[in-house]
Parts: sequence; structure tokens; C-alpha cells
Amino acid sequence: MKNKKAKVLAVVLFLLPFILTLASLSIGRFHIPPKDLGRTIIQAISPSAGPEVSAAARDILFRIRLPRLLLALMAGAALSVSGASLQALFKNPLVNEYILGISFGAAFGAALSLVFLGKNFPAQAAAFIFALGAVLAVLLISGRFESHTVSLLLTGVIVSAFFQALLSLVEFFASPYALQSLFFWLMGSLSLATWKDLSISLPVMAVGVAALILMRWRLNVLSLSEEEAKSMGVNVRREKLLVILLTSMITAAATAVAGVIGWIGLIVPHLVRMMVGADNRKVVPLSAALGASVLIIADDITRVAATFEIPIGILTSLIGIPFFIILLRRSGKVWL
Amino acid sequence: MIRAFLILLFLALGSPPLFCLQSSGSTSQRVTDSLGRRVVLSARAEKILSLQPEITRIVIALGAGERLVGVDYFILKHDHLFPTIFPGGRKLPAVSNTPEDMNFEMVMKLDPDIIFVSPTELQMVDSLQSKVRRPVVALASMGSFDKLLEEIKLVGRVLGREKRAAELVGDFQSRVEAVRKSVSSVLPGKKPRVYMSFWGSLTRTPVTYEPVDIAGGINCAEGILPAYLGTIATVVQLEQIVIWQPDVFLVQGNYPPRERPVTVEGVLLDKRFGSLPAVRNRKVFYTFGYWYWWDPAEVLVETLYLARLFHPEAAGPVSLETEGNEIFKKYYGIEGGFSSLCRVLECGRWDEK
Amino acid sequence: MSIEVRGLFFGYEDFRLSVEDLCFEGRKVTSIVGRNGAGKSTFLKCLAGVLPVPKPSLFLDGRNLASLRVRERAKLISYVPQELVLAFNYSVLDFVLMGRAAFLSPFSVPSREDLGTAAEALQFVGLEGFEKRDFSRLSSGERRLVLIARTLAQSAEILLLDEPTTFLDPKHEVEVMNLCRKLALDKGKTVIVTLHNLEMAIKYSDAMVFMKEGRVVASGRPDEVLNTDLLEQVYDIPMSIVTYDGKKIILR
Repeated sequence: MKNKKAKVLAVVLFLLPFILTLASLSIGRFHIPPKDLGRTIIQAISPSAGPEVSAAARDILFRIRLPRLLLALMAGAALSVSGASLQALFKNPLVNEYILGISFGAAFGAALSLVFLGKNFPAQAAAFIFALGAVLAVLLISGRFESHTVSLLLTGVIVSAFFQALLSLVEFFASPYALQSLFFWLMGSLSLATWKDLSISLPVMAVGVAALILMRWRLNVLSLSEEEAKSMGVNVRREKLLVILLTSMITAAATAVAGVIGWIGLIVPHLVRMMVGADNRKVVPLSAALGASVLIIADDITRVAATFEIPIGILTSLIGIPFFIILLRRSGKVWL
Repeated sequence: MIRAFLILLFLALGSPPLFCLQSSGSTSQRVTDSLGRRVVLSARAEKILSLQPEITRIVIALGAGERLVGVDYFILKHDHLFPTIFPGGRKLPAVSNTPEDMNFEMVMKLDPDIIFVSPTELQMVDSLQSKVRRPVVALASMGSFDKLLEEIKLVGRVLGREKRAAELVGDFQSRVEAVRKSVSSVLPGKKPRVYMSFWGSLTRTPVTYEPVDIAGGINCAEGILPAYLGTIATVVQLEQIVIWQPDVFLVQGNYPPRERPVTVEGVLLDKRFGSLPAVRNRKVFYTFGYWYWWDPAEVLVETLYLARLFHPEAAGPVSLETEGNEIFKKYYGIEGGFSSLCRVLECGRWDEK
Repeated sequence: MSIEVRGLFFGYEDFRLSVEDLCFEGRKVTSIVGRNGAGKSTFLKCLAGVLPVPKPSLFLDGRNLASLRVRERAKLISYVPQELVLAFNYSVLDFVLMGRAAFLSPFSVPSREDLGTAAEALQFVGLEGFEKRDFSRLSSGERRLVLIARTLAQSAEILLLDEPTTFLDPKHEVEVMNLCRKLALDKGKTVIVTLHNLEMAIKYSDAMVFMKEGRVVASGRPDEVLNTDLLEQVYDIPMSIVTYDGKKIILR
């Protein structure tokens, strides 16, 4: 019976993001009742079907809401899968997707662009490059140590701290106006997603998430000690590197466009494990689905709560943490 | 908490004269500033430390520029007008205007008789007061012409330049009145709805912008709750801009051309705004906007410029550049001040259609 | 399948392992005994390929082990470490299934066949019905059996078990050692274990290897090699061997 319940749950979780995306298209300041939604979509595909939908409604639906929802979908999936994979890799359920210095690397890159480099170097590109640069630094510095896993974590903390210091330095030199933009970026926001931004980041995230989903069983094996995994025929160093590169790629891509959105990569995999157990064959894909749903819901809330935009990173923390605590106490279980 | 409460109190008090001057005897003056604080100043302020760019500009306009002993980083690094209106200003030492990196020792060394700060930096007031023990006056126009004029008067009294202050205030008022009259015949229904993208972001907009109001336009974001307490800025959702369907889209042009985060071209090419009347009729323009509050001369010219944008039929015979230079000469005593500003910001292209 | 060791050297800090010439025969249970720090685990790890040996010195039926890639090697040799790192709570079947890693690419998921192999392995060690149980909730003895099932699922010819009976009660000790014999006799595996319990070693091994300070002091069949002098040499305390009820008992 437990099996059947788990199957139903899995199906629900998989369908949820798509249902939510469709529903969220009609949510927002500009009220589009669900029945008009269908008409508008058809009209967009074949304009001759009827001139009744205004240009404003069309623009809002397809140029403002849709890219934003797709970003929420993909970024939610990316951050969750990244968190789940790194938790397996580091054999530690408290690891999050930013552990290797990505958040501060990306923040520094964005700051550099917003304060000094301006239009010559768009913030997204700078954020992506420095995020990967941070991971590269971590890999190079920690490469020589014996206990690779511990040294990776420690080096990640150090590199993060370093970029954080650099970030503070840039903030110091910034004009109040540049600081405002940076501030919003640091707290995460899906509001300015355009199709142009998505044209690069979406495929990158999609490829990375797909690859990690393919590796879902392998993550079980990689969550064992290095000795065991090696004796079972796994080229631990190489596969670990692969996982790190994939997770870094998708996390950097998500952060470059949406800013720093915390807690998703930590909490979503936990929730999934509480529901279906630790087997990554289930945890990884379901984390993707649940993460996407969570971010879409959070984005919906930011869009309707007030006239101005609440940065989504604040929301995920404010809601995610208490919710998680409640769940923990109810189930009495931790990850084990 | 205290900060928020004080700011709310300040806002709640509304527009009646918030700062006034009482002189008791010739040796000292008592002043009430934007935060409602009563400050005692002894005699005429000879050494001025101004950490509020708007006040710095007023001090220069009042002809007391050489009494400045120090300014803040913003006006030295980011202000385009400052080198033009006060060439000697470049040599002035810069003191930070946030309490975290404030160099109190430098302040002591400069030995000012009065320190002007921005009322939004509440902690600055307290820390300066306790550490430096010099009179600290918090002043800002907060986006109101009335308050700007009162500010000019107050600073004039403090510096002993009342006559000059009255002259400038009178000039300002009469020019504003002239603009009001020229657009007074425009029916309310014909007033263009204006959206302003300020502070380098498409979605950040001021909830009040008097030049637009006086020039015969309607601010789409008028009356919205500010996103940051104590300021006049808010962040709207992109959707909201499309819902508003503004007739005119203004982009802040005070950023140097190559550094502008938001540009007119960008807005015109942005497919998300395709349905906006402003984009369809190509009524997307630059304007000066807030640049650490206002420069009195610049904002005056801006009001004239906007009136011409919104209601070209109401424009007078004199070209904007000529009138602009005239205003700058009146306030700062320099020739071609407006033209040189226009060169830096490439204003010549601003009202191209 | 037999393993030949020729000139194995491994050193770190202040310890040096040096095994000149040794052979582990196929279809047999060989136990390695010695004091703590004699190098038993280190030796086993070198055999498993977990520790890198500087010179090629291991040969499987004549084939040089060092020339094999990690995956190929895992199909021939499997290893169960002494301590387990357990961060996540997998089910017993999922745990055993991990033994199939050598047969799967990083991007593949176990097939029905792999699942069958894992289930069979569980059956062989006597844990049929334990598939869905949480690994972390099992007793030490049951966990050991699951680990052995995992190595069995790996389908390797040579099984290396590092102290499989430590911390187990007598019943589970016997169960594990019986299993080792079963693996050697029924499945034809080469089983190499490190043990502290001398009596168990004597009773269940076809061959014993005595180690001291990183060297092999003696090796061979228990009844041929065992004597009190050897024991005193290896363990540094006087011991006597007593036979009771057909079983050899070591008195300290």
C-alpha cells in the first residue's frame, strides 16, 4: 500500500509544475480570467482567430508572465536538483547549492558589472563567469588534499568568504543608485526576465538538470565513502568532478538571471526525502518537480502581495524556514 | 525601529513649514530642520560642511561657495554640474555620508560651524551629534518645490545671505508660475499620463515628481506607497506599467550616456512595451530626474523642458537652451552652464522624435 | 581465481607494508591475522585497489591488476570496509543494488536483471524479506550480512572483507563465517578476511596469513603453520593452544 501511495504522490508532484504554470498565467495585476486565457493563447498562435484580445494583454501574457514563469520553473528545478546532488556527493544533508562559493562569486560578478563595468559587461554574464570562477578556484585549491570531500567544503567556505569581502569592497565604492540595483539582485528577483535572458540560461539549465537526472542512481553510489565507491568500480574523482561541474553550471545559470534565491536547494530535497525516502532515483526528479512548483508559488505570491515587488529570496526564506520546522516536528524524522 | 517611527512622524506632519527660523539676538540662531529637530547655531556660519548635495548646490547658488570646507563623495564623484558651477570644488575634501565609514577625525580637523546632512540618514545625525559636537542640520526637499524654496530661505538666513535667497526664491516662483499659466488652458483630459523610469531601473519610479505635475502631466505612480519608508521611490511590477498604458515614458538621463542602465532606445525596442501609447507614438524621452534630490537651476530648466515636451503648442519663442543658460547664469553666475551640462549628457538628442 | 602478490610495498608516515611473495588460492577462505597496526587492513586495501601501490605487484591468474581500469577491477575484486559512512537512509535492497555499479554507466539506472541479482544476493545471505527495511534500523549483524550481499551482487570473483566479525555476537559471528565458507565452496569465490578472533580463523579458514609490523611472518594451512612460538612471535604475549571437543582454543 505504501508503494501505491508513493506512486500517486510522484504523479501529483510531476504534474504540479505544469498545472501551476498554467494557473499562474492568469494571476497578476492585470486580471485575465481563466476562460479568456484559453482564447488569448489560441489568438497568439493564430492571430486571425479573433481581434478581441488587446495588445496589452498579449504582451503581458507572453512577454512578461510566460518568460517569468518558465524561469521560475527551470530555476526552481535547477536549484533543487543541484542541492540534492551535492547533498549526496558530500554525504551531508545540510549542504546547499551555494556551498562551493557560487552565490558570492555570482554576487561579486554582478556587483562588478553594475558598479564599474556597466553596459560593456552585462551583469548576467559577469555573474555566471565569476560563479564558475569561484568553483574552479575551489577545485584547484582543494585538489591536493587527501580527504577530498572535507577539503572541498572547507575551501568552499573560504572562497565564499573571499568573494564576500570583495563584494563588500565594491559596495563601498558604489553610488547609492548602483547599490539599489545590486541590493535587489542580491535578494533574488524574477521580475526582469526577458526572452533574451532565457534564450541562453534556459537551455543551459535544462541540459544540466537532465544530465543530473540521468545520474540519479549513480548519486546513491557516490554518497557512500570514497573507498567503497571506488571498490565498486566507480571512478570517484572523475564522476565527482562531473557532478560538481553540472551542479555549478545550472546553479550559476539560475543565479545569473534570477539573483541569489536561497533555501530552495536545501529544503526541497529534504521535503522529498521525508516523503519518499533517500533513494536518489526518486529524490532527484521529484526535487526538480517540487522545486519548480515551490518557486512558481513563491513568485505568484510576490506578484500579488503588494504593488511593489518583494524580492523572492526573502520570501523563500521567510516561508521556507518555518514551514520546514513545522514539518520536521510533525514527522519526528530527520533525513535518516 | 526609531528610525522608521521618526520618518513616519515626519511624513505625517505633512507640508506646513517644517523648518523655520527663529533668531534670538545677533549672536545665535535657532533652526528647526526637516526632522523637526531644533538646532542652535552660533553667529554666522563661516565654515560649512555639506553632506547633502542639494544643500551644497544651494550654498553655491547663494554665493557662499568659498565657505565650504568639505563635501560628500556623491557630489564629487557623480555630479556633472558641480565642476561647472563651482570649479574650485574639486579640491574640497570628501567626507562620507554614511555613518559606517565616516571619518570623524577629518570632520574635527575641518572644524565646521555647521554640518548639513540628509534626513534619510538618521544615524548620521546621532553619531555626528555625539562624536563631533557641532550643529547638525538635516535638510532635504523630499521632492517638493515648496520645501525646496523654504530650504533656500533657511540656508540663506543661516549664511547671512537672505537677500540673495529671496531673489532666487522670487525668480523660481515666477518662472514656475509662468509655466503653470502656459499649460493652464489644457483640459484635464488632455494631460498626458507619464511614467518615469528612474534610478537606473525600468521598474523603479518616483511616487511624486512635481516638475511633471507643473508641466501639465500626470504621474502614473502618483500616490503609490513608497517601497522604502522615508523616500519617494517605489518599485512597480513590469505588468503594471503595461496596464497603465502611459502616453509619455521618461527615462532618467542624469547617468553619463555610456553608463545608462536604461536607455530610450532600449525602451523603444523592448517588445514588452509594444502596446504602450508612449512607444507607439515614440514619446520616450530622457529627463534629468532626482540626482540626490535636486539642483534648483537644473530642476527649473527641467520643468520648462517637460512643458515643451507635453504641450509643444504652449512653448514660448525663446529656445530651451537660451533660457536654460539664462537660468544658470542667474543662479551660478556662469556662462553657458546649461549648454555644458547638455554636452556631457548629450541632451541635444533628448527631444528628438 | 587466485591472487599472487609479488613485492608489494606501501608506506606512509611511519609505517611500511612489505609483502614479498604470497598467494591466495581460489575457492578458498584465507584469513589474515595479527596485532592491531600490523598492517592487515592496509594490506587488504592495497589488494582492493583502494590504496595505490607504487609498483605493479598484484597478479590475478597471471594478469597484472594495475593494468585494469577501475570498472574492470571491480568486476573481479570487491571489498567490504570495516567502518561504514552512513549519511542517508537507504532501504536494504537499494543498498545491495549499489553493488551493481561496475556494470552500469554513470547515466544508467539498474535494470530488472540487476534487481534480480541483488534480490538473489539477499536470499543467499539469508535476508530474504528484508528488501524494504531501513538499513539504519538493522542490527550490526544484519548490516554485516547486507554488506556481504552487496559484494555478492557485485559478482566479483574475489571478496575482501575487513574484520567482518568485529562487534558481532557469537551467533552472528558464526553466521558470517559460515557464509564465507559457503561463498568459497558453493560459489567458488576467493574469500580473504582479516580477523581478530583466532579461534574463528582457525576453524573456518583454509589458509592463514600471520602479519607483524607490516610483514608476513608465516602463511599456510592452520594445522601446518600454527604453533605457540609463532603465536608468541606475532602477538608478543605467551599463548597456549588447547584442543577441546575437537575445536582448537587459544589461551592467553
